[in-house]
Amino acid sequence: MSVDSVDMHRSWQEEELSQMVKGGALFPMLSDPGGRIGALYGVYDLKQGVDQRGRFFIDPEGVIQSIEILPDSLGRNIGEALRQLRALQHHQATGDYMPCGWEPGKPTLSREEERGGIWKKWKARHAY
Amino acid sequence: MSVTVGKQAPDFTADAFDQGRTRKVRLADYRGRWVMLFFYSADFSTV
Repeated sequence: MSVDSVDMHRSWQEEELSQMVKGGALFPMLSDPGGRIGALYGVYDLKQGVDQRGRFFIDPEGVIQSIEILPDSLGRNIGEALRQLRALQHHQATGDYMPCGWEPGKPTLSREEERGGIWKKWKARHAY
Repeated sequence: MSVTVGKQAPDFTADAFDQGRTRKVRLADYRGRWVMLFFYSADFSTV
């Protein structure tokens, strides 16, 4: 979503995105004229007149589970976003907790383990 | 309404360009699915 019009999204898709990946963007490209929705989510930059680089994961109940807002100078890390999504989905499916440095395939913590004695299972080397 | 982790995401409706056609997208229509909602500064930018 950006403050651009739907026609601008179409031009971008046809002229550039479709050259970068087959079919271009496969998700809806939303138009946010005036940054109304960006302002609702706290990411509208009034001075520049654009939406900031904000990313929200919203769960199946409509609840926000993760927020990231980055400055112009720093691009997103899609791997990190997917890691968070997988962790959030795993938690909702199993109730398990994903400790610092967790990646898919690494050990998770049960609710009891998460509440006390984490040191028995988790070491600093697991953080990175 | 405060936008923060653990709170309901504010609903909205927006015009969208979706794979060759124009349509309205409402956040509430995605209930039951995970959504990645992301904002960027401008088309023809580094997103």
